[in-house]
Amino acid sequence: MTRYLLKRLFWMAPLLVGISLVSFLIMHLAPGDVTTTEAGFNPKASEESRQKLRKLYHLDEPVLTQYGYWLQRMVTLDFGTSFASHQRPVFLARQDGQGNVSKGLIQEALPITLLINVLSLGLIVICALPLGVISAVTQNRPPDRAITVFVFIGFAVPGFWLALMMMYWLGVAHAWLPISGLHSLHYEHLNLLGKIADSARHLAIPVFISALGGLAGISLFVRNGMLDVLHQDYITTARAKGLPENTVIYRHALRNAMLPLITILGLSIPGLIGGSVIAESLFAIPGMGKLFYDSVMMRDFPVIMGILTIGAVLTLLGNLLADVAYAWADPRVRRGVVR
Amino acid sequence: MNRALSNPLAQWGCAIIASILLLAMFAPLIAPFDPDAINVKAILLSPSGTHWMGTDGLGRDVFSRMLYGSRISLLVGFVAVGIATAIGVILGAVAGFYRGWVDIVIMRLVDVMLSIPTFFLILAVIAFLTPSIWNIMIVIGLTSWMGVTRLIRAEFLSLREREFVLAAEVLGAQDARLIFRHLLPNSLTPVIVSFVLGVASAVLVESGLSFLGLGVQPPQASWGNILTDGKEYIQFAWWLSFFPGMAILLTVLGYNLLGEGLRDALDPRTTKQAKG
Repeated sequence: MTRYLLKRLFWMAPLLVGISLVSFLIMHLAPGDVTTTEAGFNPKASEESRQKLRKLYHLDEPVLTQYGYWLQRMVTLDFGTSFASHQRPVFLARQDGQGNVSKGLIQEALPITLLINVLSLGLIVICALPLGVISAVTQNRPPDRAITVFVFIGFAVPGFWLALMMMYWLGVAHAWLPISGLHSLHYEHLNLLGKIADSARHLAIPVFISALGGLAGISLFVRNGMLDVLHQDYITTARAKGLPENTVIYRHALRNAMLPLITILGLSIPGLIGGSVIAESLFAIPGMGKLFYDSVMMRDFPVIMGILTIGAVLTLLGNLLADVAYAWADPRVRRGVVR
Repeated sequence: MNRALSNPLAQWGCAIIASILLLAMFAPLIAPFDPDAINVKAILLSPSGTHWMGTDGLGRDVFSRMLYGSRISLLVGFVAVGIATAIGVILGAVAGFYRGWVDIVIMRLVDVMLSIPTFFLILAVIAFLTPSIWNIMIVIGLTSWMGVTRLIRAEFLSLREREFVLAAEVLGAQDARLIFRHLLPNSLTPVIVSFVLGVASAVLVESGLSFLGLGVQPPQASWGNILTDGKEYIQFAWWLSFFPGMAILLTVLGYNLLGEGLRDALDPRTTKQAKG
């Protein structure tokens, strides 16, 4: 297991270098240098902020040196300071001369987005497993057809549109659920149970929206996986020795059909993080997505580059976690019998 | 191909896509009003006989704007996926044909691109460029070629070992001939399927970007930016946000149905499984 883990960690290194290269290239994608595009975009950008940008990315030095500096900053997790007037550090908290601590922007936003993503991953698994199993067991009969229709609509519905509609119906027209932020104004005065209920009401629509696309995909995936497994010989054997159908399906088939699910969940992480942009900015949730959108609108380059890099590293960690979980769940992978 | 056309999913998908394409193509003939004509006497009218989908905050006819918007959404979808497919086919073919270190480098690049959350990547690039319809196509194209690359590479890797390719190689066929005459034509099925499915997701991404104000810029109509207008008026004018959303949903549904239908029909493995 340790060797497997070390091997996986070793393979992450070239990917990290690649990520640093891609993000570096994006920064140099703009015609001219970053500072002039910014000026072209935002006439209000002052000479001072342009100078800051030049200094931050060492734009006056040769390209290779610039990349060296960028790599160094990535390794030390120092993504500089936001251009916004609050001048907060991009990633981690920093203490100034007077001992005032200013909290990092990403440090503050990340847990919120992680919470939403973990909740929606949970919702996806809880709903997709039964849907997929029912669909597979009733293949080509009415329940399967109904679930397939749901899956196709789930794939096709634009998340931001559904969010807008739910926001209007549940939040404005009927005022059942709050439509912005993470907490109510009186949050501080609630007891623990009240606090949880309050957060749940605020998170209900955003979590549902971010889960929907994945839910459709993963229930289809569970269905096809179950169909594959149900046609295998050991299932016939299990049925032949007279096991109840439920035992065959849940004990013998589902366990094997669930294995690839771990990998798929790991792979869905970048989509979930990326998808948080629209939901978070629509519902004014101060997570990574909203931070990113705001930074893009203000051309706050240090924050953009910081989030891009951290987002990619998170995805790598997610995939690593999925692979380790897979190895833990499937002894064949752990012992290196199959890759 | 006959098998594909007799697949019910593919038929539904085809019907939906064909009607949307026809509407888009004949938009100037069908549209009852000029999509950009402002009419202060007809602001926020609800759907009626004259204005089938109502009017927006500037008195423009929503139905006409939807028709012209469909051209933009479809154009962006096709061109973006065209770019992605071209890049994917070239890189995948090179990786699968030459193998070795070329393959390793290309596949690591795929891994890197897949690890950066796509929507973040698109937004970041847009932040450095001016948002315009051409930039959107290029950016979506440049950030969605990874799937095709993997597909083509996998096809090439397995086809390369087949007798007919080895025979051609023994007969002294050049690399280019092997690739274009023997390998590529035999790996087109998954490319077609992924092209169709790709258009669906490109339409979704474009509408999302336009919705955020970073895509197609007004006054040019796109489904996404009609929806942005709709957001402002959602309390008084449901039709402004309802119709564009439905249009996006139907379009994406159409391409997904066609794509999955084609996959079912063209992939002998899943066909067998469906018969069970």
